[in-house]
Parts: sequence; C-alpha cells; structure tokens
Amino acid sequence: MTEISLPLVASPVQVRKGRPHLFVTLWSRAGILTRINLVVFAAILLIAAGAQVLAPYNPDAQTLLARLKPPVGITGAQAIHPLGTDQLGRDLLARSLYGLQLTMAIALIGSLISLVLGTTLGIIAGYVRGWFGGIVMALVDVQLAVPFTLIALVVISVFGNSLPVLIITIGLAGWEVYARVVRAQVLAVARMPFVEAAVAAGAPHHRVLLKHILPNIVSPIIVVWTMTFSALILAESSLSFLGLGVQPPTATLGSMVGLGRDYLASSPWIALVPAIAIMFVSLQVLLIGDWLRDALDVRLK
Amino acid sequence: MLKTLLSTLALSTMLISVASAQSLTVGVQNLPPWLDPGKDFGNNGSQIYFNTFDPLILKDYSQAGAVFKPGLATAWEQISPTEFQVTLRQGVKFQNGDEMTAEDVVFSFERILKDMTPEFAGIHRQFFDNFAAVEKIDDTNVKFTTTKPEPLFEILLNTSEASIVPKNYIASLTGDPAVVEAADFDAFMLKPVGTGPYAISSFQPGENLVWSRFDGYWGDKAALEQVTLRRIPELATRVTALANGEVDLITNVPPDQIATIEGNPALKNVGNVTPLFHVAFFNTRNPTMANPKLRQALSYAIDRNLLNEALWGGEAKVPNTHTYEQFGALYTPDVVTFEYDLEEAKALLAESGYDGSTIRFDTDPVYYTNGLLAAQAIQEMWGAIGVKAEINVTTKWTGPDADMMVRNWSNPMYFADPAGSFGVMWSPKGSGTEMAWSPNEAYPALWDKFRYSTDVAVRKQAYEEIMGYIKEEMPFVVLYQPYESYGMRKGVTWAPRPGHIPYVLDFRAGSITVE
Repeated sequence: MTEISLPLVASPVQVRKGRPHLFVTLWSRAGILTRINLVVFAAILLIAAGAQVLAPYNPDAQTLLARLKPPVGITGAQAIHPLGTDQLGRDLLARSLYGLQLTMAIALIGSLISLVLGTTLGIIAGYVRGWFGGIVMALVDVQLAVPFTLIALVVISVFGNSLPVLIITIGLAGWEVYARVVRAQVLAVARMPFVEAAVAAGAPHHRVLLKHILPNIVSPIIVVWTMTFSALILAESSLSFLGLGVQPPTATLGSMVGLGRDYLASSPWIALVPAIAIMFVSLQVLLIGDWLRDALDVRLK
Repeated sequence: MLKTLLSTLALSTMLISVASAQSLTVGVQNLPPWLDPGKDFGNNGSQIYFNTFDPLILKDYSQAGAVFKPGLATAWEQISPTEFQVTLRQGVKFQNGDEMTAEDVVFSFERILKDMTPEFAGIHRQFFDNFAAVEKIDDTNVKFTTTKPEPLFEILLNTSEASIVPKNYIASLTGDPAVVEAADFDAFMLKPVGTGPYAISSFQPGENLVWSRFDGYWGDKAALEQVTLRRIPELATRVTALANGEVDLITNVPPDQIATIEGNPALKNVGNVTPLFHVAFFNTRNPTMANPKLRQALSYAIDRNLLNEALWGGEAKVPNTHTYEQFGALYTPDVVTFEYDLEEAKALLAESGYDGSTIRFDTDPVYYTNGLLAAQAIQEMWGAIGVKAEINVTTKWTGPDADMMVRNWSNPMYFADPAGSFGVMWSPKGSGTEMAWSPNEAYPALWDKFRYSTDVAVRKQAYEEIMGYIKEEMPFVVLYQPYESYGMRKGVTWAPRPGHIPYVLDFRAGSITVE
C-alpha cells in the first residue's frame, strides 16, 4: 500500500480525523493549475446549486416574439439575454444554469448509485471469492460487453421515460468499473497481516470489511469516482440528446444540445452554449481526476 | 494507372450527369410502413399514391377548384337519383402488365364497401358511407348505387381512396391464386401495383421507395426515368443532405430553415399554405377532459396568432373555424368557433372546477412541422391560465388510447368540401369522433342535413349549426394551416400543385422538370 494509506490503517479512529488532513496534504502538493482547477470546479458546483438564485429568468418561460436572439456581441442581440434565446424565446443563460444543475445532480446521484453498488459487490467478491466472486466478475464482463445505449434503450422502453428512471439507468452504467477495481484491491489487502490478525482475533466479517479493508481502498474509489463522473455527465448528455432523457421543456445540458441541433446552421448558439458547458465541466472533472490519480499514486486497472 | 483511373472517373461523372437529368432523389421526413390507397388517409401515404395509382375521375390539379377530367373513366352520368353509370377507359394497363377490367373497378370498391379489413371499414365509414353497391353492367360500364342521393359523387370518385387496384394480381399474391384472402391485402401493401405513370420498383417500409417510369401508361408518360424517396426524419440531416447534393429535393422545411436554404446559392425554397389544419384534439371520454368548459377554456387560452407570428413567420393561416377557401360557396370565414380570449379562458376554467391535475399533451418528435415547438408553446399558454400540462414526446400514435388526454393531429382536406375535411374526422362516424368524442343524439341528423342536402344554402346553414355545436363541445381546436416548404437545388423546377390534397409529391408529366 502507499505511504499515505498505511498510517490511515493503523487505527480506524485516525482515519476519520485524517480526512481533512488528507485534503490539506493534497492541496499543499497541488500545483497552481490544479488549484485553479479545484477552485473552478468548486465554483461550478456552487453555481449549479444556486441556479434558482442566479438565473435571471424562469428557464421555461417563453418570449415567443424574441426567438433565436444571438448572444451579446453578435448583431441582433438583446442585452437582457446575454447568452441569447432559443427557438421558443427562452433565455439560454437561465436554461444553461438550470440545465447544469440537473445534469450535475443526475451525474452525482447516478455516480453515487454506481459507487455504492460497485463497491459493495466488489468488496464482497474480493473477500468471499469462490462462486460469488465468479458471478460478480462474470456480470462485470457482461456489462462491459453490452453497449450502454442498448441497456438504456431497453430500460427506458420498459419503464418509461422519467427522471428517476434516467438516474437509475445512469447509475447502473458505471458500477462495473468500481467492482473490478475494488475487488482487485480487496484481494491484495485481505492477505495483509493486520487483516489476518483481525480474523484470527475473531472479528466478524462485517467488522473486518468495514473497519479494516474499506478504509484501505478509499483512495482508489475516490479516483475512480472522479474518472467516471465526467463519463456520466456525457452519458446523461448523450441520452438526452437522443431524446431518451428528461422530457421537454425541462432543460439538461444534453437535451439543450439535442433540441438545438436543427438550428446549427442558422442559430448555432442554441446548441453551442450548452455544448461548451458540457465540455468545460467534463474537462475540469477529468483534470482533477487525473491529478488525484497521480497524487494518490494508485494503479487503476 | 493514373490515366485509367482518371478516365474511369471522368466516365462515371458523365454517366452520373446524364442519369441525373432523368432521375431525382427526394429526402422525405416520413415514409409510411405500408401502401394501399384504399386503406390509407395518412399524410405519409398521401405523398405517394398519386404517382402510382389513378382514380376513375381525375381533375385539373393546376387550380384549387373542382374541374373534373376523365381518368380511368371516360364518361359518367346520373341515371337515377341514387344511381350513376360510369364508362371505363379501354386499353388501360396495370404496371404488372394486366389489363384493367370492369372486375378490377368493382373489386376496388367492394373491398372497401364489404369491409374486407378493418382499415377498409374505416375508409368505408369516413368516405363511402353512402355507397350501397358497385356492379358491372358490361365490360365497359359499371353502375354505382348509393343509399341516399349523393351530391358529392364526382368528388368522392376523385379521391385517392377511390384508386383502382388489380384484382387478379392481389388474389395471386398469397394462398389460392384465384381467391382474395386477407393475407393478399397484407402482401399487396408491400408490393403495390396500380395504373399510374410510375411503378414502385422497390419499397423498404419506413426507409426508402423507388419509382420507375411505367412505359405502358395510358396517358402522358412520366416526367422522370426514376425517382428515389429516402426517409431522413432529422431536419438538420435533411437540410445537410440537400446542401451536399445527396438529394435533389427535401420535404417539410419549417420557416426557421428557409433562410439557411435560400442563403445557399445552389438551392432554392418553394412553399405554400397547405390545405390541412394542425389541430389539438381532446379525449372527451377521459375523465380529466370530460368537462366541455375545461376544453373551451383550453381553446380560448391558445393565442394562435402569436404561434403563427413566432413559429411560422406569419406565413401560416389562422382560421376562425374549420373551413377552407377551396370550399367555394361553403367557405365560412366569418363563423367564429376558435378564438383567443384570456379572460374568457380563466372564467371558463373557474366554472369548470378544474382540480389542478396534470394534462398530458402527446406529440411525435418530428411528424408535424413545428409540432414539438407548438406543443411547448401551448403548454406555456395553458400555464398562463393555471393549467398544468406536461409534454409527452412519443413516436407512438396514442390517438385511440383511453389514457390519451390531448394530442396534436392534422385534419387534411381530402376533397374540397367540409365533408372531405371536417367530415372525415368529426362526422358521426369520423375518425376523430370514433377515437375521442361522443356527440349527442341530435348530431347525426344535423350531420345528414348538411351532408345530403342538394341545396347549397341549406348545407351552409347546417354546417354553421354544426360549428356552433363544436364550439360548445370543443372536441378539438384548429391551430392553423401550416406553411409547408420544400427545399430543392436550383435545377429542379417543382412546386406543390394547388388542386391536390396535402403533401402529394406529384411527379407526373408536366409537374416537374429536372436539369
């Protein structure tokens, strides 16, 4: 294990105290660009959370006579719509803010679902091994072999098209990565002397798993989480673009791109504004994930 | 090597340019899953039938009025109040080589009048309800008998639904080749044959269709050697395909895209106000929508002029009632059935006791030009009077579903009479009435008074009464006549002709030239 996680294992009590300490350590090691990354990402989260306060208009409010107004800086723009309006005269700034909020919420909840599911299955598979581990790993292979869009199409055609269904679908999309990484980690950690000591001392399985093994594999989980988070933002965007996501008029970044594609030639900003937002947010998360991977020095796959 | 390559390239380019003068590729928004003019009154099929099939009576399609011309019939006369004798053209060939006979004509109508499949039964009720029998008199004459005197005989025989199909060919498709079975009609839908100037040489349902010139056509030979229809449902893709030269002509261009097309020096745009209404119709049998006051409130809340100005650049036509200019003496522009009045809408909504429940508005993502945009705009307008609506985007046709509440639809003008547009959808046996509306007991009598009177003044007055009843019941709201455009490259000279029903892609002789 790494030098950072070893002291964490020494005593579970220290782990809880050590978390802010871990972040401070990481921050002090971060370069200036990474610090900017982190600050910008925190700002994105704040902006997304505060969409209701920040948005100048109701995102669904239409001004039919002010349709297709370009962003400020292009002829014909209106100052009251700094990013322009879409094909129903809805303010693109307001829609982007609400869309960002919903997209981030879907990706966050979705990634938590895959994190919990994948980690639980991976831990048990790695600890128990035997036939259960075999089944889990077979399921991982199956999931990796079936295209996500196909799974999403089937789920949505069976359960209909609603926000909870979308979130769960997206949550089911990423669990296999966690399961694989976690299982590999558990296989290594479970043979360490302190675990064997705990087992020998008569600790029950759940105690061994939660108190001795889980704290040791937190860092790779965090890294996987940051790496898959941006993939989930893109997955939501793809599904909404294909019309399988939330129903109009509710805005997500992906659905805004999807509904704006007919206007790419005449009013490109309708699709470009949310598309740039998707790119920017995904890039931030990816850069942070990349840096975390290096900082925590964990071999992923 | 390079020389060979270059000369091959030059040769193939030449071949393409020679071929292109005689052929055309069209990017269409929709293509139907099957084809049979006797079963179908959908907008997708309407694009296709006129090139491949002929009715007994044709007309001058260069004008909106009804000037009838001989088609597969050379003459027709009324021999008693309820009997018509039709003389058939001789030497007409179907595209499979069979000669058209009186048996084919009788069969073409019998399959509808005897309700041989449920779809034929629908066309029977909505178009030929008054037709009792069609009989062969001799090889060149056929007698039509109606239940009541039929003032619309010529108009009905001119419809696409009255196209003539080959009996022996249909019977031979499956099972016993001498007997017409239900499965024969299913097979015919995928390999349709008619007497028109273009034979359908290939048909992939919902994907593409190829027409080839039929050299045995009885009239003027087709203008083009070959026409290919390719379904491109995505608007952006369709416009791109036109700009790239993949297709020569595209359908269903909304006003927002006209500037893009006209901004390209190689392309042009041709549009017209289509004889078709986009409507929103209510399922009056759904408990949520059962109160007519609620439906009236929803109708009053829709600002149709704003929709026209915003979504159609003011080019669509917003009518006061279910009427078209083409109706001539029966055109009633002054009758007000649908209007925008926010205060009235709010008052009616309060009276209706609307409980705040969500009203589901169903729409296809692409079927109707501007359909999804209009649905969202209407949702907002209903929100302004306090009605909560949600948009349900689905490619499924939810019209007859019990849980349908509101959905968009179109009411095309199938022939230039209120019976041919309002009647097909909202008469007592109309398609919309069957799906979603239960009119009162007096309605059939009122309808018959309009439908079968021979006095135009009586018909007009009865139609106004019907519109009064619609205003009370409000089973649907007419939104507008859309302004439909076609984008094409500059070498194509084509425009929708005013005498046709909506969406007909008429490529017959004299209708199109391609350079």
